[in-house]
Amino acid sequence: MHISEGILSGSVLVAGWAGSIAGISYGLKKTEPDKIVRTALISSAFFLASLVNVRFGPSSTHLTLIAPMGLILGQAVFPAVFVALLLQALLFHFGGLAVLGANTFAMAFPALMTHIMFGRAVREGTGKFRVMVFSFMAGALAVIMGALIAGALLGLTDRNFLGAVKLLVIAHIPLAVIEGAVTLFLVSWLKRVMPEFLS
Amino acid sequence: MRKATIIGLALVAGLMLSCGAADAHGTGWRQSGMKAVALEFMYSTGEMMSYREAKVYSPEDDRFAAQTGRTDGKGRFAFVPDVPGTWRVVVRDEEGHQCTAELDITPEFLGGSEGALPVSEAGGSDIFVRALLGVSIIFNIALLVHRRRH
Repeated sequence: MHISEGILSGSVLVAGWAGSIAGISYGLKKTEPDKIVRTALISSAFFLASLVNVRFGPSSTHLTLIAPMGLILGQAVFPAVFVALLLQALLFHFGGLAVLGANTFAMAFPALMTHIMFGRAVREGTGKFRVMVFSFMAGALAVIMGALIAGALLGLTDRNFLGAVKLLVIAHIPLAVIEGAVTLFLVSWLKRVMPEFLS
Repeated sequence: MRKATIIGLALVAGLMLSCGAADAHGTGWRQSGMKAVALEFMYSTGEMMSYREAKVYSPEDDRFAAQTGRTDGKGRFAFVPDVPGTWRVVVRDEEGHQCTAELDITPEFLGGSEGALPVSEAGGSDIFVRALLGVSIIFNIALLVHRRRH
């Protein structure tokens, strides 16, 4: 889901940075001191998830864990994603530094939306099946939302990219299914073992 | 009138003769005696970077690629260096993954007296060290933020 360096136009890069800086500032302000270690833990998981490749047919992709991040961290998701992506760019050459703002926004915003849309239902939901359905939907929708934002950023750069947006979303459907399943199992496990993690 | 026609025809004939060489845009081939460098690119998981964009930067120009192309189905890419120095080959995919190989091409290699290329390892084996470093940095940042808040 990372957008490569040198693809987006200057104005889109600036817009990406503006959105990310706003999200990071808001996130830092809202993060309570006792949740900083939790944020670091989830940020590390996100940072390492990029190294876990999932085979799907002839190709493979890597996990993003956007939805679990949003459900666990809430507003603190922007700083967590930013730090993890910065280190991915520096240490693994994923994405890049100029495009870091756009990539942060493309991944952190869907995570935040997941928190807003499904956070309460997952946290306070009592019916096991209901929670499972919401968790799966959160995981899958977060990936599709991320692909749509990445596609929109490409489309704003050059209209010729609009054709590729459809392909980008289609290519992310298998990952959406995988992430939905991962989110489902993770939420079920957290609700049973560490429910305070979702609070 | 006839004189003018003769002069005109002579001019046209002269022009046609002079353009003869330019018109002959034929093609040909021969086997090059120069030594090529063949590389393999792969992800940290061992999967090959098949059909990915590849760019070669010569030591003389680090800004504009001397050669562009794609890796083959098995992640291989070859190029022919012609000057000594550090050559850079950058392979990237559409998802933002990028691998950079830096090769020190010596005059001996170009001269053909040296059999194997003294290539520095392209990286990838130290992936776990970098992952550990990343996690360590994240927790140090968290510690720093935590201390500032208290």
